[in-house]
Amino acid sequence: MSGAPALRVTDLAVHYPARNGPPVRAVDGISFALEAHETLGLVGESGCGKSTVARAIVGLQTVTHGSVMVDGTEIVGAGRAALRAARAGMQMVFQDPVTSLNPRMTVGAAVGEPLLVRGLARGAALRERVALLLTECGLRPEDAARYPHQFSGGQRQRIVIARALALRPALLVCDEPVSALDVSVRAQILNLLVDLQRAHGMACLFVSHDLAVVRHVCDRVAVMYLGHLAELAPRDALFSAPRHPYTRALLAAVPEPDPVAQRAKPRVPLVGEIPSPARMPSGCRFHTRCPMAQPVCRETEPAWREVGASMVACHFPNE
Amino acid sequence: MTPALAVHDLRLLIGGAAVVDGVGFAVAPGEVMALVGESGCGKSLTAHAIMRLLPDAVRQDRGYVALDGDNLSVLSERQMRLVRGRRMSMIFQEPQAALDPLSTVGAQVAEGTGSPLRQARAAVLAMLDEVGIADPARRIDQYPFELSGGMCQRVMIASALIARPAVLIADEPTTALDVTIQAQILDLLRRLAIERGTAIVLITHDMGVVADIADRVAVMYAGRIAETGDTAAIFARPRHPYTALLLAALPRRTDVPRSRLAVIEGRVPAPSEFPTGCRFAGRCPLADARCRAETPLLREVARGHLSACWHAEAVR
Ligand SMILES: Nc1ncnc2c1ncn2[C@@H]1O[C@H](COP(=O)(O)OP(=O)(O)OP(=O)(O)O)[C@@H](O)[C@H]1O
Ligand SMILES: Nc1ncnc2c1ncn2[C@@H]1O[C@H](COP(=O)(O)OP(=O)(O)O)[C@@H](O)[C@H]1O
Ligand code: SF4
Ligand code: SF4
Ligand SMILES: [Mg+2]
Ligand SMILES: [Mg+2]
Repeated sequence: MSGAPALRVTDLAVHYPARNGPPVRAVDGISFALEAHETLGLVGESGCGKSTVARAIVGLQTVTHGSVMVDGTEIVGAGRAALRAARAGMQMVFQDPVTSLNPRMTVGAAVGEPLLVRGLARGAALRERVALLLTECGLRPEDAARYPHQFSGGQRQRIVIARALALRPALLVCDEPVSALDVSVRAQILNLLVDLQRAHGMACLFVSHDLAVVRHVCDRVAVMYLGHLAELAPRDALFSAPRHPYTRALLAAVPEPDPVAQRAKPRVPLVGEIPSPARMPSGCRFHTRCPMAQPVCRETEPAWREVGASMVACHFPNE
Repeated sequence: MTPALAVHDLRLLIGGAAVVDGVGFAVAPGEVMALVGESGCGKSLTAHAIMRLLPDAVRQDRGYVALDGDNLSVLSERQMRLVRGRRMSMIFQEPQAALDPLSTVGAQVAEGTGSPLRQARAAVLAMLDEVGIADPARRIDQYPFELSGGMCQRVMIASALIARPAVLIADEPTTALDVTIQAQILDLLRRLAIERGTAIVLITHDMGVVADIADRVAVMYAGRIAETGDTAAIFARPRHPYTALLLAALPRRTDVPRSRLAVIEGRVPAPSEFPTGCRFAGRCPLADARCRAETPLLREVARGHLSACWHAEAVR
């Protein structure tokens, strides 16, 4: 369906029921859209709900309410057949390349499986497609005959990416794809993802807690805090003129690999810790840690509104 | 001045492979020394060897550790137990796993004083306060599962420091924590070094953490020190190809987005595959026949700046 964005998420909520006490509001009403060819970063501290959003988008997570439209098709509440059809157009890459591959399946079988299952290629044609995908991801065609345990972490992530690309998805959802990798290998995989996106132009949701990595690969960035979006802005706006106090605190906390710049940086330590999503603070959910908080912040939830090129949820954003 | 901690020519063997080979460094009181390197390069084994807590599979066949000039290798295990926690302590990456789940915060912190919590209560409360735990009077009687990861790390630091050891070994103390909590813990470690004069060995793989807090750095690769010197000097002009590539591989706030990051081809060899000569030769753009045949030893290439590379002068 042309015209529709690659992905549109509207008022998405995922609440996990708790045995005793109130439910965990892991994702609590968030909205954003992703155009074709665009990469959107989703950042935030651990437990803020990033992975839950990612799983909900690819249909691996029961949704409490809201809508997820992939290329114009509703995923929430879709039947098996509709979901299966939609899944052909979207793929997911997870953090841990070890558990995302079946240890008893050769690399060739793993990468070719999506094509085989959908009857898109078999025999010699399938082998050829697999060889091409492996080469594209920086592996060798001969690697098809080997098993995952014979590869390093970085190579396994290449295999996972090759498999995700087999059906040429229009949307790729990556959840911390380089977080488990060493620095030198991380650079290889980031270069690969940048190249692949240039070549194929898929839309990409890139979930990460690493702001430097997100700045490197993303066009726009969404900052998540306790199940909500705090800010969503074009990359340069977000990094050079963050409007939400949480975005500013997060950026200030990332240590720069440059002793001169890092030591000259003003220290704005964020006090306290992220509250439990089962006991959400009233009003603005960031008010318990916010250095800018005013009495109104404790009572009234700030609206999600436009400030310049950015969307922000704060009563007192940096204008 | 006698260094608070000196490690001399440490060699550790697993099977036949020297997984740590000729590692040595010294840390002065109040100094923060970072040990950096990628996964598996021998950072944690070095830390455990310093504490004399090596796993059974690992044998130390060379080198010794000195605390304030005292050679620890002559101590019996009983004497060593008195050194650990009193003169030298260690904290770990996974604070939740390192704490005893069945023992209260207060009891665990009191252990370092050698007295029961009843007698040490005031000292424990003061220590919990010093490491930034809010409401210590309530936390002291709680169990680890009732605390967040950042709070557990503070408790571990409190129990490591209550006996005022001269040396603290911190093995990836913030790797499992969020950046906002990491910043708090790094501020705490910095304060301890300055105010108490604690000598700190900080193990990390994060060059940002090094840039933030370390006075000096030792970069490890495949069990050996590749380069060591002042933090400012190493970042301004690395003298080992591995350090230079490691720094170039990082995406930075000043880069053009999506520009190509430097890569280090291949991967770290497994200990059983360590080559003769320079262990980085298989991945080094400057490698030549000499590198593959002869092991480069650490040599001074600028004042206080040592590199184990035959071509240190040609780096960048
Ligand atoms: N108990 C053990 N038995 C066998 N091999 C071991 C043992 N502990 C460590 N090794 C090996 O020794 C080498 C160095 O390990 P070490 O744990 O010191 O690395 P590290 O630098 O701390 O890595 P990381 O960044 O992953 O923590 C690795 O090759 C590792 O696999
Ligand atoms: N299957 C689950 N059952 C109950 N709670 C969950 C489940 N998965 C995640 N959570 C909780 O939901 C919140 C968001 O988790 P997650 O989406 O994994 O965060 P992130 O990926 O940002 O670290 C956390 O509080 C987490 O503990
Ligand atoms: S609404 Fe108030 S508490 Fe929330 S981020 Fe803005 S200033 Fe801070
Ligand atoms: S000694 Fe040779 S192989 Fe080793 S780092 Fe230096 S130039 Fe590279
Ligand atoms: Mg996650
Ligand atoms: Mg380690």
